[in-house]
Amino acid sequence: MALSFKVKAISRSRLLKNASLSIVFILTFLLILFSKSDYVIINKFKSISNSYIHPITSFVVAPVKVASNIKSQISDFKNLKSENHILKEEIMRLKKWQTLAIQNSKENRVLKKLLNSTDNSLSLVKTASLISRNDFMYGKMININAGLKDGINNQMAVINHRGLLGRTIETSIESSKVMLLTDPNSSIAVKTIFNENFSLLQGADDGIHLVSIFNKEEQIPKIGDLVVTSGTAQVFPSDILVGKIVKASKEKFYVLPFVDFKNIEYVQVVESK
Amino acid sequence: MLTKLLSSQKAIYHIILFFSFSLTVNYFVELKIVNFIAYVLFHLTLIYFIFYFFHFTLYFIFFLYAVLFDIFLINNIGPHIISFLIFLTTFQLLKKFLLNFSPFKISYIIIIISFIMFIIESFISKILYNYPINYNDLGILFLISVLMFLPSLYMFSKIDKL
Repeated sequence: MALSFKVKAISRSRLLKNASLSIVFILTFLLILFSKSDYVIINKFKSISNSYIHPITSFVVAPVKVASNIKSQISDFKNLKSENHILKEEIMRLKKWQTLAIQNSKENRVLKKLLNSTDNSLSLVKTASLISRNDFMYGKMININAGLKDGINNQMAVINHRGLLGRTIETSIESSKVMLLTDPNSSIAVKTIFNENFSLLQGADDGIHLVSIFNKEEQIPKIGDLVVTSGTAQVFPSDILVGKIVKASKEKFYVLPFVDFKNIEYVQVVESK
Repeated sequence: MLTKLLSSQKAIYHIILFFSFSLTVNYFVELKIVNFIAYVLFHLTLIYFIFYFFHFTLYFIFFLYAVLFDIFLINNIGPHIISFLIFLTTFQLLKKFLLNFSPFKISYIIIIISFIMFIIESFISKILYNYPINYNDLGILFLISVLMFLPSLYMFSKIDKL
């Protein structure tokens, strides 16, 4: 009697163990499958983890965040003198550009009136601040404190005062996840300002530059050319500053983005008017 | 009751795991090394925990951690979950054989397994989601693992003696 009870108990626990293992494996398979096919359940799961788990982890590591901020303030303070010098030079340069820009803008307005052309400027959806960063090792992503309630949807362009930052890829009610330009899975349709060479860029392996993956008519632009969004892929509005070409070979070229991805505080989510 | 629960060895390991997980998924621009250390500590703790406190419920706990790691670091599910499950299943199959080794040999096995897990994670993220294998980051992880290996094992042995 006792022996039969023991055997039953063992077989029941083994059955439970095997069943739970099978459940874990089936769940894994399904999650990977849904993730690869971008199924809606996975997106909900992602937004739930971003909304509920991330705040808890941020709270746990708050002291380390404070230490990191102090370190960044100290290094800012160290560079104050040299930065001041650079800024003075930049102000001089920008003043010259400003005069030129005012002249051009007047001329543009008159020409637009003559041609009766439509205005293709950006419309601001929301200005948001950075909550946290997820750019350790694999993906290059940030979380911002604006979401569906602010009118933000997936695939909207995100910029700051320096230029294009990336696009929204996950939106929950309160927050959104932004894939930065430097992510190897990001893809941007761009053109050069001077001779309008159209190309596609993605994040390079170094996590700093952008590399061309397709060049229209296989034309490689020159080093020093400025790159802006072309607006052809319908994700990013056209003519947003992306970066400057710093390296070029026969098949591809590298772009250094204007945005300083280490110092992101406020961003703007925009769309075409 | 709560004090007793919190002072149990398993609870301490869970606290370490959660803390290192939190540190890994919150990127610090000026203290990137903290993210690396936390990532390594999580892997070392996980492997040690499975070696000495194996229970099938750990499958569910690590399944959850792996899914969250994948969502926060890659925004897609796959590399961590596959790597953790490969390790857990292999361990369960070889458990009787592995636990016959001396603690000295087991400690070397732990660090080798952590290296293999880092490589598998990078490799799967390359295959499934086109993330390039970053040899610099892998090198830093290996170096930190080697440096952290003895101090963390010392810490684990102290926890075991509680």
